[in-house]
Amino acid sequence: MAGFSTFSLAPYSGEWNIKQAAHLLRRTMYGPTQADIDQAVDQGLDETIQVLFKITELPDPPLVFRAEADTVPLGETWVNQPYDRAVDNQVGSRLASLRAWNSGVLLNQGMSIREKMVLFWRNHFVTSDIRDATYVYQNLTLYRENFLGNFRQLAKDSTVNPAMLRYLNGSQNTNFRPNENYARELLELFTIGKGLQVGEGDYTNYTEQDVAEVARVLTGWRDIGYFQRGEGMVQPFFRSFAHDTGEKQLSHRFGNATIQNMGDQEYSHLIDLIFQQDEVSRFITRKIYRWFVYYEIDEQIELEIIEPLSQILRDADYEMGTMVETLLRSEHFHDNYAIGAMIKNPIDFVIGQFREFSVDLENDDHQLQYRLWLQLARLPQPLEMSYFDPPSVAGWKAYYQEPLYYRTWINSSTLSFRYLMNQIVINGVQVRDHEIKARVLEMIETIEEAEDPNKLIESLAQYLLPHGVTEQQRDDLKAVLIPGLPDYEWGVEYQEYLFNPEDEELKAGVENRLQALLTSFVSLPEYQLS
Amino acid sequence: MKRRDFLKASQSSILALPLALNGINIGAFHNSVFDDILSAEGDRVFVLIQLNGGNDGLNTIIPLDRYDRLMDLRSNIMIPEQSVLSLTDTLGLHPAMSGIKNLFDQGQVNVVQNVGYENQNRSHFRSTDIWKSGSQATEVISSGWLGRFFDFGHPGYPNGYPNSDSPHPIAITLGPSVSETCQGLAANFSVAIRSADSLVEIPGMDSGDTPDSHYGQELLFVRQIKEQTNQYAEILVEAAEKGENKSQLYPDPNTNNLADQLKIVASLIAGGLQTRIYVVNINGFDTHASQVDESDTTSGEHAVLLGWLSEAVAAFMDDLKELGLGERVLLASQSEFGRKIISNGSLGTDHGDAAPLLVFGQCVTAGVTGDSPDIPEDVSTPDGVEMKIDFKNVFGSILIDWLGASEAEVRSVFTHDFQHLPIVNACQATPTREFDQQLPQVYTHPNPFFENLQVDFSTSGGPVQMILIDGQGRTLTTLLDANFPAGKHQVDLSVPELPPGSYFYRLETDQYQHSGSLIHL
Repeated sequence: MAGFSTFSLAPYSGEWNIKQAAHLLRRTMYGPTQADIDQAVDQGLDETIQVLFKITELPDPPLVFRAEADTVPLGETWVNQPYDRAVDNQVGSRLASLRAWNSGVLLNQGMSIREKMVLFWRNHFVTSDIRDATYVYQNLTLYRENFLGNFRQLAKDSTVNPAMLRYLNGSQNTNFRPNENYARELLELFTIGKGLQVGEGDYTNYTEQDVAEVARVLTGWRDIGYFQRGEGMVQPFFRSFAHDTGEKQLSHRFGNATIQNMGDQEYSHLIDLIFQQDEVSRFITRKIYRWFVYYEIDEQIELEIIEPLSQILRDADYEMGTMVETLLRSEHFHDNYAIGAMIKNPIDFVIGQFREFSVDLENDDHQLQYRLWLQLARLPQPLEMSYFDPPSVAGWKAYYQEPLYYRTWINSSTLSFRYLMNQIVINGVQVRDHEIKARVLEMIETIEEAEDPNKLIESLAQYLLPHGVTEQQRDDLKAVLIPGLPDYEWGVEYQEYLFNPEDEELKAGVENRLQALLTSFVSLPEYQLS
Repeated sequence: MKRRDFLKASQSSILALPLALNGINIGAFHNSVFDDILSAEGDRVFVLIQLNGGNDGLNTIIPLDRYDRLMDLRSNIMIPEQSVLSLTDTLGLHPAMSGIKNLFDQGQVNVVQNVGYENQNRSHFRSTDIWKSGSQATEVISSGWLGRFFDFGHPGYPNGYPNSDSPHPIAITLGPSVSETCQGLAANFSVAIRSADSLVEIPGMDSGDTPDSHYGQELLFVRQIKEQTNQYAEILVEAAEKGENKSQLYPDPNTNNLADQLKIVASLIAGGLQTRIYVVNINGFDTHASQVDESDTTSGEHAVLLGWLSEAVAAFMDDLKELGLGERVLLASQSEFGRKIISNGSLGTDHGDAAPLLVFGQCVTAGVTGDSPDIPEDVSTPDGVEMKIDFKNVFGSILIDWLGASEAEVRSVFTHDFQHLPIVNACQATPTREFDQQLPQVYTHPNPFFENLQVDFSTSGGPVQMILIDGQGRTLTTLLDANFPAGKHQVDLSVPELPPGSYFYRLETDQYQHSGSLIHL
């Protein structure tokens, strides 16, 4: 079977229209809007990549939105403010604020790869079940600030990140009570990866001895504790009395290196040692490939894509930018066969539909705004993805578990939910005095010759589906738009509305037909693909 | 499934290719075991409970005959001896498990001791893969053992399913995702549901062939799930409407997730759903820290989890009894590994090796299989409990004694030197099979195979011949024809270029003749 037609990393210079532009944007953003896609078509590939990779200003921090649940005034940020035990629900409210704010950030990000990379790092350096919102905010900020930063430095910063020290028991790892939870994952999942077991306790890239010794290197670090009553951010700290000062002997997999007498610099030295192994660059490059292109990595991909890209990463001293950019510019990425080969993950699916369907979620009342964003933040959960709680330290199965990989996302249960969710968003739902609803009339405003139902459907299909529609699908969709009527009847009704935009009856009639059309669009299996 | 429909369905299908287009008709050749299992008459149900995270077996089934030794090694998490619920003279249960204690006393539990596999891998992910795939630690197989079992009877699935022969889901997973244990070569045999009415019909039009590309493959997959969803949605609602629960022992909804899952399973079985396999999950067993409370080791995270397990299983078994279904259902728990013998300093335990596996049902062989775990004199920090019983023997025995598989089939599902364990037998409707210890030990691996194929066999000396047979029963080639001295042999076979599909072999010596199936990719 022909999976791909090219394995070249040379810059793509072929056709550049809606289909190609939408492909790049779907993989690098959450649900490009029609305007985003049109802009990318105009700009061309080079400029679009430049825009996507631009370092953007960080969003303003999350705000208090429940007056009764914080001592910090409504509308001000809590991220560097102390907790007050006397306040009920403060802990939960700050977490809710963070979750709401974060989905607002995803929804409103401009043309940038940043948020897809932030989630990549969350899926890589997993933390989960963190109860103090300040910890989570600080963890997220690390990846937002360095979304295409240096992988080695990110590994160092993640190792002593307070949320990580909590999640993988780093804070409990002391010289008198070693806990090797983090040490194992640092090697197995965060840096070099586990190879085949080739001997007792020897996993090709590291050994059980290394796990135990790495745990000793990392002894002494801890977080400051949840719910601090002092001001400022939560910093990790190093307790030399809890640090194992003995000699740590790594295995032959790391050249029998030893580490000793470096105190709070031992973790940094250790990570430098790990990164001397080229396998680290291959491990992260494979993950980038699975994140942006496709899950299957066969010998040819390994040889022609992973190996040269990992060389680029090493040449760049582990700065991520050039490697990711080379991949996204490549002929391989823009291969027609790569387009649509990824099943959208639930966050992509949820945020994407809001942007694709022009749903208005802006509200001037910041309390209501946060409540709306909070609704949005909850939607991916029944689809089996929670931004703040990956299911395990390995991240989401879609990116590592063979043979299903992306297909993990789709089963009878989640597909049913996806469809229900689409229907609700298309047809509208009232949250307080804000209506969440697809703006179907706006969606077709910029479509040329929208009065021709064939052109209308084909244009919408180009924006919404990776490969547009077949003639048969177009005709079936048309039968939904104008059941049993000749084509020109759509034009008559639509133009009548355009001439009388204030006529509510005309408007409702056209809107209903478009909602029905869009509902059929999202019932197509093609809509699940990116 | 009707052959005509099958071919029709496969015209636009890539997934169906390997088994469909080569004209192999397994159904015509194969013995009747799978027909029996997957038809309305075969009515036995197997429920697999996955304890995710790696359960601390030593604090679950507590070896009282090792209590003092363990007190030396894991004093900070030990359950006080007077709190342990006694099972036998030498074994006790965690005090949170009173429901399971009652079931044990009623003869409805078999505790299989020291279960694991050789070369225990302590990565959650790899070890879970090994349990679910039923592989050796040294081989990577991406299908699941139940999936490979289903592959024999359902080539081409999910094309054309459901159908009149197989109207109901082959397997059901309660919860978030399909079960990797049910992953077949081409497709996953389980349908994931949250509740009986959680599926909705998705209307819409699909047309056109899927292109021959990665895109086409993924599209085809979503399309099939969609079609299945529509068909199974109705069936499940119907079964749930007919079904009911009768036990008073279920906790309030949303207080014990496992109990909620098992309650749905009971009502679907009671409602006449012919699904034979259910997979349920309980998470949280990765107790590196706070496994017990410092002030009271009988409470803490592990106690909560075991309490949920016990409460859920007891209510489910009671429900089945009240519904008159007790003899139809068998349950088994599994976890990717046990934990280290020596506890850590965080009131927890780190990843270890073997652990007990529990089998429940009115038809189990009541009691304990295997001995108390060995606690060696020179135990050191990294040590886990030594494996004595391979999990593949447990599930292989369940396949044979409960789901009606033949030993040859089990040998082809697991690339493993299978040994039968008498875990299930009390209510066998058919006479218990005699297991002849002299059975020829033949197995081929890997299965499925791609290019290279090996066979292991033993002989008391003389000529050995092995032939390859296709789906129509035609001999294709002789794989082996030579004299061998007495003893065990492993031989690399030269397999001619073959279309992918399902094949059979027959190996003959002067002493025995042995047949098995092979899948070629």
